Amino acid sequence: MAEPIRVAVIATVYRYLSHAQHIADRFLVGYPAAGCWHRPNVRIVSLYVDQKPEGDLSERRAKEFGFTVYPNIADALRCGNPKLAVDAILIIGEHGEYPLNDKGQTLYPRFEFFQQCVRVFDDDGRSVPVYNDKHLSYSFQKAKQMVDASRRLGFPLLAGSSLPVTWRLPDVEMPDGAHVEEAVMVGNGGTDAMGFHALEAMQCMLERRAGGETGVRSVETIEGEAVWSGRWSKALFSSALSRSDNPLGATLADGRTQDLTAPGVLPRLVEKPLACFIEYRDGTRATLLMLNGAVRDFTFAAKLRGALRPISTQFLLTPEPNVTYSACLVSKIEEMFVTRRAPYPVERTLLTSGLVEACLDSRIRGYRKIETPHLDIRYQPPLQSQRAQS
Amino acid sequence: MSIRRRDLLKSAVLAPAWLKAGRAASRPKIAAVVTVYRKYSHGQHIADRFLEGYGWNGEHHHPEMDLVSLYVDQHPEGDLTRERAARFPGMRVYPTIAEALTMGSSKLAVDGVLLVGEHGDYPKTPQGQVKYPRKEFFDQIVAVYRDSGKTAPVFNDKHLSWKWQWAREMYDTARAMRFPFMAGSSLPVTWRIPSVEFPDRAHAEEALCVCYGGVDSYDFHGLESIQGMVERRRGGESGVRWLQSYRGDEFWAAHNQGVWSRDLFEAALCRSHTLKPARPGFNDVFPSLDDLRRTVADPVAYHYEHADGLRCTMILLGGALSDFNFAARLSGRKEIFSTQLYLPMPDGRTTLASFFSPLVNHAEQMFLTGKTPSPIERTLLTTGLTAAGVDSVFQSGRKIETPHLAIAYQPTPGSTFWRS
Repeated sequence: MAEPIRVAVIATVYRYLSHAQHIADRFLVGYPAAGCWHRPNVRIVSLYVDQKPEGDLSERRAKEFGFTVYPNIADALRCGNPKLAVDAILIIGEHGEYPLNDKGQTLYPRFEFFQQCVRVFDDDGRSVPVYNDKHLSYSFQKAKQMVDASRRLGFPLLAGSSLPVTWRLPDVEMPDGAHVEEAVMVGNGGTDAMGFHALEAMQCMLERRAGGETGVRSVETIEGEAVWSGRWSKALFSSALSRSDNPLGATLADGRTQDLTAPGVLPRLVEKPLACFIEYRDGTRATLLMLNGAVRDFTFAAKLRGALRPISTQFLLTPEPNVTYSACLVSKIEEMFVTRRAPYPVERTLLTSGLVEACLDSRIRGYRKIETPHLDIRYQPPLQSQRAQS
Repeated sequence: MSIRRRDLLKSAVLAPAWLKAGRAASRPKIAAVVTVYRKYSHGQHIADRFLEGYGWNGEHHHPEMDLVSLYVDQHPEGDLTRERAARFPGMRVYPTIAEALTMGSSKLAVDGVLLVGEHGDYPKTPQGQVKYPRKEFFDQIVAVYRDSGKTAPVFNDKHLSWKWQWAREMYDTARAMRFPFMAGSSLPVTWRIPSVEFPDRAHAEEALCVCYGGVDSYDFHGLESIQGMVERRRGGESGVRWLQSYRGDEFWAAHNQGVWSRDLFEAALCRSHTLKPARPGFNDVFPSLDDLRRTVADPVAYHYEHADGLRCTMILLGGALSDFNFAARLSGRKEIFSTQLYLPMPDGRTTLASFFSPLVNHAEQMFLTGKTPSPIERTLLTTGLTAAGVDSVFQSGRKIETPHLAIAYQPTPGSTFWRS
């Protein structure tokens, strides 16, 4: 067997059920994949954690698995050597105590962590693949710099959510080159954290449309009563909601199935509805609806030209504590570490990082429609579907 | 052996009401006969889908038929009968099964019957089986058919009866009277993760299901999980010769001796989404045998041999996981075939038990077409296996010969699990 791939973990926190624990632990103890317990040929050799709150597991893991916790990122990358001494890096900047900005985004230091890695790459004349968990940065400008650095130095960069790679119910993919007339994505949770997951789920479908991704022209967010005016296809909305296993309200009360689009149902359930209208540069229109109080899952529907029925599915988030969907993501990360190629383009996450920020900008600027010339991001989808299916 | 529409048409004695109804002119009328109707009871899950509709094929689907009458055997606290009847005035609640089926007239007045005898307070057998009155309900339904000189399709939720002889009688009656009869669990028809079918006519060497729940409860679901797969093996189903249960220390001894294959057992565990973390601080770690012995208080296995030699094992591993995971070794394939039969379970994971949707959809199709979606023999066999399993457990793991389970049948050509 080949020498194990040496990995440095750069995390905000490492405690039970933090993203760092989900992801890094799978490299330590293995994970379920394709009906086996897969044990990656990967060795975590170093760890940097930015915060050590109560329940910190970093020292415990280091002791059990024989790696070192370093006091700074450069040391973690060099492992006590004069030069870069790892083959790959996991940057997991999710969870931990960080300030919020005026848009309501948590200022996780992903860009700052990444910059320190790049400094080592520059200084030591060698670079290695990097996985960045979730969006690249709360700031599009910073996210762009991250992608630019990976291009300049030529190292593979993978980022994003686990939603694009988890199981789907039903197990469907957007047909390659489909002409998408309109799409609706329904999600729930906080706008910054979970809105990103919903946008990534939507984007991994839409990027497969005819012509590939061409970028986003404008974004508009609305909130409150105005949302119910329904500026999106009711058929698509109904289709997405029909995929939910987690309707709230009457279902919670007495178990009944519900047509959530029946008159009056959603306004009763959703205290603060939020809708983001996204207009792509090629004219495709998509709507993200965050419906806290009505559903607890992530569902999608799209109208394709020439198709009688919409395509619709649920992105399955399997239960805590196992959250096996993160094993689907780790399998993609491992693939990049082994092949030194990102299985899907980081441009997807660059675009969704920019979309999160633009949606929040629209809100903070009085729900104005915002032109997004900076989201002129073009890319082609991966040739193979990346969803979990084996 | 399965009942075909052409056979039904040949029947001169009892004319099936649903075929005469003239589908375009009138929507089929359905009666539901249930033990209880309260939140998350099977009666609620199933009847509600006819009343409220449900998510299906990417839309909120309303069945093309009307649930017009309801009989509820028990009305415990939380009973929803009145609330549903008030909101759906097209459905009347009747005090007896006969009246529900005749809608107060002298003859059968419905085109299909839902028999849901799960949940409710019923006595237990000495072996611990709940005596849900499915057979009693079935007999009352059949009495109306006889009195009326006509029949209608029956959907029976879960196994046929806790008692094998009664199950056989139900089956024989349905065949003799030639009405479409479907039964069983939602496991064979729910989502699979991954979404795969047992390879057609594959030669199965061994199969197992690792799941959870209790004896005379989820054991049936585990057995249906296996049977819905292995009936597709080369030659079709041939019946079961014997069954032996293992519980507690005997379970671990059998596991160590390789009564069932360790690699299949482990492959099934790898399909789970709910493996109980064996070590504090870890959220998803593969359990060692010691871990399992610590977390599983009451392991149970039903190990049985089919007439064609196939050995299967249904394993209840509550405490270690809470989902249904199937694995099989197939001749000529290096990899183990495995999948999870996924139940979106309203135990905190979801609010809707959506796995009832494909089951109800199959029942609807039967009511519309008069064709059963899958062979009733599957559930006849699993009913017998459940009874034999309970029996073996009660007799401390005695091997039970099952000559009565020489039930041979062929599967439906097409897959019937949820994929759309």
